[in-house]
Amino acid sequence: MKLTDEEKKMLEGGYGEVVAKAMDYLRQFGEAFDAERFVDVVYAHYPAEMSIYRGMVEDVVEYADTGARVKIPTTTSTLACDLDQWEKCGCPREIYELQARAVPAHRKMGILDTYTCTPQLVGFVPPKGSLIISVESSAIIYYNSVLGARTNRGGVFTRYSAVTGKYPLMGYLLDENRKGTHLFEIDLTADDLKTDSDYSALGFHVGAIVGSEVPVLDNIGAPNQTKMLALGAALATSGSVTLFHAPPHTAEADTVDRAFQGGKPKEICQVGKKEMRDVYDKLTNIGDSDAIDFVTLGCPHYDLEKLRYVSDWFERNDAKVHPDVRLWICTNRMTRRAAEWEGIIRSIEAAGGMVIADTCPVESHMRISTCKEFGLETPQIKAMVTDSCKMARYVGDLIGCKTALTDRDNCLKCAVAGKLV
Amino acid sequence: MTDHTAKARGIVKRKAEGKALVCHKAFSFLGDVDMDTGEIIAHGHEHEGESIAGRVLIYPETKGSSGGCVVLMSLAKTGKQPSAIVLGKAADPNIVEGAIIAGIALVCEPESDLIGEIPNGAHVRVDGEKGMVSWTD
Repeated sequence: MKLTDEEKKMLEGGYGEVVAKAMDYLRQFGEAFDAERFVDVVYAHYPAEMSIYRGMVEDVVEYADTGARVKIPTTTSTLACDLDQWEKCGCPREIYELQARAVPAHRKMGILDTYTCTPQLVGFVPPKGSLIISVESSAIIYYNSVLGARTNRGGVFTRYSAVTGKYPLMGYLLDENRKGTHLFEIDLTADDLKTDSDYSALGFHVGAIVGSEVPVLDNIGAPNQTKMLALGAALATSGSVTLFHAPPHTAEADTVDRAFQGGKPKEICQVGKKEMRDVYDKLTNIGDSDAIDFVTLGCPHYDLEKLRYVSDWFERNDAKVHPDVRLWICTNRMTRRAAEWEGIIRSIEAAGGMVIADTCPVESHMRISTCKEFGLETPQIKAMVTDSCKMARYVGDLIGCKTALTDRDNCLKCAVAGKLV
Repeated sequence: MTDHTAKARGIVKRKAEGKALVCHKAFSFLGDVDMDTGEIIAHGHEHEGESIAGRVLIYPETKGSSGGCVVLMSLAKTGKQPSAIVLGKAADPNIVEGAIIAGIALVCEPESDLIGEIPNGAHVRVDGEKGMVSWTD
């Protein structure tokens, strides 16, 4: 890689050991992908070290002690527990105590303790064309597609970009890798593509076909922010989609032709009612009228309006969560605090639900591997209803529960009935 | 016994060898594998119940969560990581980060369809420096 004088100085230790080592890792990484040079990145969304992964928290505590400090605004992704409500969630004390040690380490490094998979909902909205580095597949795809910022699928090296402000020029940072590969002609009525779970199902179907390529979705109805989030999260679950175009709703192409940058799609696929139904069926193995013990909303983490919607729903229907069911509505700590001011939390809790911050079921102590380590009973959940394909896909194997995919209202009805309705 | 060699794009420039674990579908490190034991836990996976530890893991492409690289590092903490990874398509940067830290040789985009050619269980040698995959069957 061709380095500037400043970058050479960074690599050679002119700014200390921490920066030198970070540059060395980033150079190895860039050279693996034949990157010509580094670019400056303006924002990082960083993988918070989760205490359910061996050695991770100890590692960041040690790293922070070396004097490492971030050079660019850096937010953090989810943790393995809600730092305030861990006990009510059944999280073992050891997992909480270990997890809590990461917080002062992050602060010491100058990292913001947002602990959310949706940093874009708490004000981190990089502009179109800006170069960033992000973890969390649902945030990555949103940044690239909806906002038009540019990031690859970041991982643990996000740390090194955060302390240097550098990333190799490669992958989705380059124009030529941002053109559409497959065209999906969507033939669905407003009724068939209406809820967040419908957009999630659409994403799950398309992601499985394109894998790591760039789908162009024509005619996605009337999406809003949470529908685009749901669509992206699912595309990055069944596939590893980093960028999609859905003209005119995404940032880079206002027509289908422009999405292909003058080229032709390598494949054209039709999506109709049947394809959507198949996703709902595939992710539902709880039988009709079978008892359920868990309902999850907020994958990815909910915004304030969605929390308000849930609290209004319980009031409107004068309903309470079934005593055998746990209802987790996941969000970030900032939004949870805002919802407290509005009385939303009190009202959801009065109805028997919990508003969880910092984490979600799949990131929590409820994973089978973690339960085994801490002598907890498995599975922690027998049958979960959710409106998110991403949640349904991961909890099935990681927590070992049965799942059902349905829309938000129906999830709430199931939580009240204690069975699939 | 016949020896075979194929060129590929060397990504993580290390050498490793082991028994092939050939998967025909996209693989997600989050969800498809137990992060402590290396056992494949995805229901209905062609190798459900087998471990990826010490194997040369061969699969078409990575899918799913960007938590995948952390799973790979977590596996390496207990020595349950694959010895090498051979990808049919381009490498996902997320997995490459995990592989660099975990010291796993990684090559991608081989000149021929290795998923079709390498028998499961064959002894495979991966050279990430030269970008070579060789095996005996």
